[in-house]
Amino acid sequence: MSAKIKGFCCNYTASVGVDALKEAGLVPEDFEMERLPCTGRLEVPQLLEAFEKGADAVFVAGCMVDECHNLSGSRRASKRVGQTKKIIQELGMDQGLVEMFFVGRGETGPVVDAVREMASRLEQTD
Amino acid sequence: MIIAERKPMNELLDMISGVKRLLVLGCRGCVAICSAGGDKEVSVIAAALKLGRSRSGEPIEIDEATLVRQCDPEYLEPLPEMAKDYDAVLSTACGVGVNFISDRCDGVNVLPGLNTTFYGANLSSGEWEEMCAGCGSCVLHLTGGLCPVARCAKSLSNGPCGGSTGGKCEINPTVPCVWHRIYDKLMDRKEEKRLQEIMPIRDWTTAGHGGPRRRIREDLLP
Ligand code: SF4
Ligand code: SF4
Repeated sequence: MSAKIKGFCCNYTASVGVDALKEAGLVPEDFEMERLPCTGRLEVPQLLEAFEKGADAVFVAGCMVDECHNLSGSRRASKRVGQTKKIIQELGMDQGLVEMFFVGRGETGPVVDAVREMASRLEQTD
Repeated sequence: MIIAERKPMNELLDMISGVKRLLVLGCRGCVAICSAGGDKEVSVIAAALKLGRSRSGEPIEIDEATLVRQCDPEYLEPLPEMAKDYDAVLSTACGVGVNFISDRCDGVNVLPGLNTTFYGANLSSGEWEEMCAGCGSCVLHLTGGLCPVARCAKSLSNGPCGGSTGGKCEINPTVPCVWHRIYDKLMDRKEEKRLQEIMPIRDWTTAGHGGPRRRIREDLLP
């Protein structure tokens, strides 16, 4: 069974839908993406729940720090990812299993790269 | 306000080992303001404990609730009924809240989710510092408003120890010597005469050395 990767992104990140990316073989079949109005809305419990519900790795793709549609949304998300890293480490998990990526608006490539980065981290922790 | 911080996850997981249904109970008082035990932190702790337990193959059911305060009896009234369905209640109030629940709510297995650390002020977002130790006999009028009990590592009453160097405390060069600051403050205020006054040996009874403290105001009693 391949590892499950869960990503969160905002309205303005990655214009190509996940199904199309899967069809094109660019991301694994059990990759799951949740789109939020803004990644700044993400709270630590949501990131922890993603693991609890079966994700092996979790990432957030938000706007570039200085280009966030909602000014500081992605910066806030990055802080919550930082808090989550600390908590999962306390639970004996590798901090690298949750990550923040800052990606250009509407760009799909960096999101695909993020999925691949998480997949390679998972391979290394296996 | 009272400052507290979350206990490490492994300590919390040990504490709740064997618990199948847990209520994480927050407090909207001091601990919510210092971001240790309010609604938000209750959700984080609950999610983290669920993840920790499911990783160890022993899933747990966790509910969340938050009281206005855990140090006033009226807010605790519903707790015994609320807690009936849970094996334990993990309180994220300060130690006062945990004690009060234990005193008042028979049958509730209350556990501490936080380490209660000190009475402090919020220096900036995410930073707190101890300012008062609740000694019960305040001397701030003699010391330019700066507390020698809480802010001097040795709680000295009559000036700095020999280790004060360049305005810093000998315990750590990042800690200001409060007696150095008291000196500067009194000089600024032209109250240098205060520095000549010898504070008598303190009676620490009021600071708790005479046993648990209690305050009664007859006019407010029911
Ligand atoms: S229980 Fe503790 S934290 Fe909560 S309001 Fe009372 S003193 Fe403050
Ligand atoms: S002298 Fe006592 S009451 Fe006054 S601030 Fe210091 S510890 Fe608190």
